[in-house]
Amino acid sequence: MSTLGFSETMQKEPSDTPQSKPEPLVKGGRRVIDCDVHNIPAREEDILPYLPPFYRRRGVRLLNRHEYPHPESALRKDSAPADGGPIGSSLPLLQEQLLDKYEMDYAVLTGEWSSMGLLPDVDYAAALALAYNDYVIEHWLPLDRRLLGSIRVAAQDPAQAAEEIRRIGSHSQIVQVYMISATAMPLGQRFYHPIFEAARDMGLPIALHPGWDGMGISHAPTPVGYPGSYFEWHSLWAVGLMSQLCSLVCEGVFEKFPGLKFVFLEGGVSWVPHLMWRMDKDWKGLRSNHPLVKRLPSEYIVENARFSTQPVDEPPESGDLIHIFRMIQAEKTVVFSSDYPHWDFDDPFHALPRLEPELANRIFYENARELYNLPENPPLKTELDQGHD
Amino acid sequence: MTEVHTVCREGEIPRGGRNIVDVAGRSIGIFNVEGRFFALKNVCPHQGARLCEGTLKGVTALDADDRPVLEREGEVIRCPWHGWEFDIASGRSLFNPERLRVKTYPVTIEEEVVKFAETYPVSVEDGMVTVHI
Repeated sequence: MSTLGFSETMQKEPSDTPQSKPEPLVKGGRRVIDCDVHNIPAREEDILPYLPPFYRRRGVRLLNRHEYPHPESALRKDSAPADGGPIGSSLPLLQEQLLDKYEMDYAVLTGEWSSMGLLPDVDYAAALALAYNDYVIEHWLPLDRRLLGSIRVAAQDPAQAAEEIRRIGSHSQIVQVYMISATAMPLGQRFYHPIFEAARDMGLPIALHPGWDGMGISHAPTPVGYPGSYFEWHSLWAVGLMSQLCSLVCEGVFEKFPGLKFVFLEGGVSWVPHLMWRMDKDWKGLRSNHPLVKRLPSEYIVENARFSTQPVDEPPESGDLIHIFRMIQAEKTVVFSSDYPHWDFDDPFHALPRLEPELANRIFYENARELYNLPENPPLKTELDQGHD
Repeated sequence: MTEVHTVCREGEIPRGGRNIVDVAGRSIGIFNVEGRFFALKNVCPHQGARLCEGTLKGVTALDADDRPVLEREGEVIRCPWHGWEFDIASGRSLFNPERLRVKTYPVTIEEEVVKFAETYPVSVEDGMVTVHI
């Protein structure tokens, strides 16, 4: 039985089982790493001590995305902390609703305030990124060993971004570089390569996250201009991710930085087969213009790109998603993400269709463990209680 | 066989309000929509979120010029996770009412009929809300 979308197999009569939830598609006992968890500072003042005095007077001034308000709330309504703080600011609630509930081994914090990466004032953006990172390192990572951190960078100034990656890249709980996926230029271009060099040197993948396409110094979110609503805009996030992946391949980034991995967050996976096949086809006839692209584009993609599941595609026949997993070698390329506590959160026990146990283990756990170079054995419960060493 | 469970006094759920109760191993939301009471299972059929804790909404319709207008305000519950909408009275989803529904339970208000006298004292003014499972 599928609970995804409305298929012929969907239940006709609603369930009246006494269980608190529908029968899980995924049984417990599975190991889970969540690759996209959005924590947020409880208040702007939490960041200010980490800003240099010159910028402290300015405070935190970000983009507002008033162009595309979610009609209700882009945050999970049931994740509001009791203390009145913003959704995503409470570690105890995050532990209760995510880490403990799904017995996760690790959760990768990707944070909020990502629009700093699209501010025109590059020095202020770099200072904000540094302050944000120091805040997460001091206020979140020490409190739970299951939390993993991302280095927020403001890619509009690659030199400062690279400096930041080298400054904190060796922290034991930092596992990746994180940037907003919308940029002023296609990401594969040489302008951005200092960021890639630093990430390679520190042994860290680079995560790209949509959510601000069309804002700040980025361009219109589609080649036909500005969509008219949050719905339309949100449905097209993969357009930006496709553009960036295509650029990375065509500019030879994966030849220049062969071990460097890029994580494409919050785009789902169904756009990937199209890009692989189209690029492979084009490469056969156009490769003479791109001597740096030495292999089939799909080979680079499988080797160097990782795709997070959320918001998981829900075709009418849930088995169709499994076909797409096969097309993109999901046993190597796909990692699970929940997007907690955003409105389109995916429950790790209910969001995906039933998978073969081996594939499920790759997607929910092993691919991310390899990507982030995590130990085979997670921290023991007693270590968790003791917190960070 | 139908079980009848007394869940609260009528006056405890004002118009536009709701109570979420545990009955016979189930979490159930009891809604007062303009003086009519309805009960829905507190589990979204999509990914299992606690549906009845979502936002109360109306139905968005179109006016003669195809511009959106709000109708039937307060008659729809919107899931706190992915925003799927269900008609509170029927349990039917708005996007696929024939095939996607959440379980509903009949609710009755019975004055002076008290199933659990020790917890819910008799009150002539306040009817008792009972749910039939």
